[in-house]
Amino acid sequence: MPRDDTVNRRTFLKAAGGAAAGAALAGCAADPDETTTGSGGANGSGGEETTTGGEGETTTGSEDGGSGGSGQVLTWARGNDSGTLDPQNTTSGEDVKVTNQMYEQLVMFEPGKTSLRAGLAKDYTLEGQQTTVTLREGVTFHNGEEFTAEDVVATYRRFVDEDYEYYPGDSYVSAYGPFTLGNWIENVETNGDYELTMQMTQKYAPFLRNLAMFAASILSKKAIQEKGQDLSKEPVGTGPFAFDSWDTSNQRIRLTRNEEYWGEGASVGQVVFTAIGSNTTRAQTLDSGDADIIDGIGAQASKIIENSSSARLNQADGINVGYMAFNMAKVEEFRDKKVRQAVSYAINTKAIVDTIFKGIAKQASQPIPSNVMGYNDSLSPYPHDPEKAQSLLDEAGVSDFSFELATFKNPRTYNPSPLQAAQTVKSNLSEVGIEVTINQQSFNPFLDYTSAGKHDACFLGWMTDNADPDNFFYALLHPQVDVPDGQDWVSFDTDGYNTLNSAGWANADYMSLVEEAQTTYEEGARRSNYEEAAKIAHDEAPWVFMDHARELRGVHSRVEGFTLAPIGGPFLANVGLSN
Amino acid sequence: MVSKRFVLKRLLLLVPVLFGVATLVFAILHLSPGDPAKVIAGQRASQAQVEAVRQDLGLTRPIWVQYLDFLTDVLVLNLGESYIVQRGVPVLTVLRARLPVTLELAIFGQLIGILVGIPLGVISAVKQDTATDHFARVGALTGISMPIYWSGPLLILLFAQFLGVLPASGRIGSAFDVPVYTGLITLDSFVYGLTTGGWDAFASAASHMLLPAAVIGIYGTALISRMMRSSMLEVIRQDYMRTARAKGQGAKITVMKHGFQNALIPVITVIGIQFGTLLGGAVLTETVFGIGGIGTLLVQAIEVGDYPLVQGTVLVFAFLFTLVNLGVDLTYSYLDPRIDQ
Repeated sequence: MPRDDTVNRRTFLKAAGGAAAGAALAGCAADPDETTTGSGGANGSGGEETTTGGEGETTTGSEDGGSGGSGQVLTWARGNDSGTLDPQNTTSGEDVKVTNQMYEQLVMFEPGKTSLRAGLAKDYTLEGQQTTVTLREGVTFHNGEEFTAEDVVATYRRFVDEDYEYYPGDSYVSAYGPFTLGNWIENVETNGDYELTMQMTQKYAPFLRNLAMFAASILSKKAIQEKGQDLSKEPVGTGPFAFDSWDTSNQRIRLTRNEEYWGEGASVGQVVFTAIGSNTTRAQTLDSGDADIIDGIGAQASKIIENSSSARLNQADGINVGYMAFNMAKVEEFRDKKVRQAVSYAINTKAIVDTIFKGIAKQASQPIPSNVMGYNDSLSPYPHDPEKAQSLLDEAGVSDFSFELATFKNPRTYNPSPLQAAQTVKSNLSEVGIEVTINQQSFNPFLDYTSAGKHDACFLGWMTDNADPDNFFYALLHPQVDVPDGQDWVSFDTDGYNTLNSAGWANADYMSLVEEAQTTYEEGARRSNYEEAAKIAHDEAPWVFMDHARELRGVHSRVEGFTLAPIGGPFLANVGLSN
Repeated sequence: MVSKRFVLKRLLLLVPVLFGVATLVFAILHLSPGDPAKVIAGQRASQAQVEAVRQDLGLTRPIWVQYLDFLTDVLVLNLGESYIVQRGVPVLTVLRARLPVTLELAIFGQLIGILVGIPLGVISAVKQDTATDHFARVGALTGISMPIYWSGPLLILLFAQFLGVLPASGRIGSAFDVPVYTGLITLDSFVYGLTTGGWDAFASAASHMLLPAAVIGIYGTALISRMMRSSMLEVIRQDYMRTARAKGQGAKITVMKHGFQNALIPVITVIGIQFGTLLGGAVLTETVFGIGGIGTLLVQAIEVGDYPLVQGTVLVFAFLFTLVNLGVDLTYSYLDPRIDQ
């Protein structure tokens, strides 16, 4: 066969094969709906929903799993593997599910509730600008070291102190450092091995709740010194489970029961976290008995579980909010309250929540859900009322109005079908003569887009960090900069602007209520401030309040004692397996 | 026969191919919107923190400096560290753990394709236009038309949910913790069985492999059997076949000895090309069956903007694909000595 001929044919075949492989890849990448779990942060103690994956180190385990009693293996299946095992190295809820089994905080959340309980601190008080903590004695880390006040200091300094010898670097530590501790703590002083005083930069009511966040997990000083950044794959905590192995090729993290645990200790011998990308496959795996608990459940997966004879669906109210923000800094029409209200009336949020989100969410009327302190019972969601919307628009003198609605493409817990929801908004608003164009993006450039204030209006949402009202009211709707007098919005370019406030809203009354509540320790007074702030937010409508999503878990019938915790969990030490 | 010169030349040709791929991937990544620093820093980070991360990753340098650095690093096989998916871990380490997963799937899928497809094609050709032939052809057409994201869930539904005989996802039961030697779980658990005498792990790994390998194999079987059939039909009509029969050789021997080897040449091409496609198909299969090979890794890395990981994975894909092609070409000359390299 002539040489040229063979080369040509091969070249052609290569190109054809390459194109086929490329097409297959492209086809997969273009269909993310099925694979995205939208479940990050689902286990509560905050964390953003960034999807992350496995870890490089391939570990070789040794033990063979058995069955019965202490050899029982509890399998938790989720959408993605962890990216890191260091609570100071992550912003992802997916990572937190695992670290919460191995690490503990000074103060902790009650399983399944939003209230606090003693953790590694036996006693804790917040008075004025000072927090005093008495530590539990007789607690040991997984490396055998005894837990003392020095560990707390080392933990704090490693997270926020650039001058600390063992500070792991700016791009290693997460933004939670300053957000949780650094901004509020002036210094930490020890008084013996079991007493600590934290001097604060200001009075700050949510502080104890910050201490209960995953980011405030207590690390071992010795481990900090010995391991540095390796803590991201070799965690050392005090929790009921200790790290065993991380098998990245199987996307599987294995933890074993901590026999030296100071508390009651875990029921099962091992916990395995495993990743299954497809929601439906995950549900089928649960149904066939190869997983015990699963999260990241969409409408289709929940149907599989509901129809299953071997598994059940657990539900609880989540601590989150989904909304559509008006960018008042960019779009002049939105600076008129009547226009914002008109849009709120025009959009059928009830239909979005009931039919598009398929009932796994509740309609929202204010920034916080009902399980957070300060929820205002007297407010109800804006009803769908196109006529009222039209008359408000007429009053405002707005006609021929159009804007761009920016949205992320993939489902998120607080917005499980963003594109369909956006389509509904578009058709609802066309009924009142407002033209909407939809700008859909991946979450990654989307966050950039909205935090730079480039959107006219956008879908967004929030999963709580610490179940404190301040974590919604101040974090999402307070500009955190000075505002020109008589103006109720502020430009995104202002130095130090809180870019999480995607509405650019800056209502003076609201701001002073929220600021006051931040420094009020008396709960009744604080609550009424938030109730009032919620009313202002509702009436002023900087957002279209959309929904509070419910948390869903699929649980196999052999699982006992599992409490769905919207924050601080999952509490797997309490979970047992029947044979 | 194969000359060393030819192999060397083909290996050298890898360089421009990989250079082109590297450049293309780099350009696409850096021209598309999205900022990995923002993803790493998270929603709660201040602008200053995002900027610090950007600085740290070297994303503030001019793009051509980043490009040159990237190329020189690739030359010394330094693919950088993952930004997000496996933070701070060298890309090569990540790929070393994940690549065997995909290769194992592809190999088993390919095996099924070859072992079922070739006999099916031969039978189909020999019994041309009989009921067997029609049946095989309809089967092949169905197999080619079935997308993995449809056949996968269907098989899971049948074997895992209704019959409950095979696991729905993963590579091995979660009770088993098998030491990693090769990364190929069936092989590792086999070795584990040999050394410890506990064969449960191997049984679990094998049962987990069946469905995904079958799903990948269906397409391969269909494609290979079609190719085998038409190639065989062509060969059967050749003069030398008739001559062999005329000198009194039995039908079976003629077909198997004179026909089969010659008919195999185009089939080998298909198998080679198919292997590349399998790597792509593995992305879907891995997603459906919850298996973390480089397919799911790539998709995840693209979604979050993990530049070094995307670049590394695509380079490895390209490298493998070219290597397989080389293998195919070498096989030609073995099967047909007339093909002079």
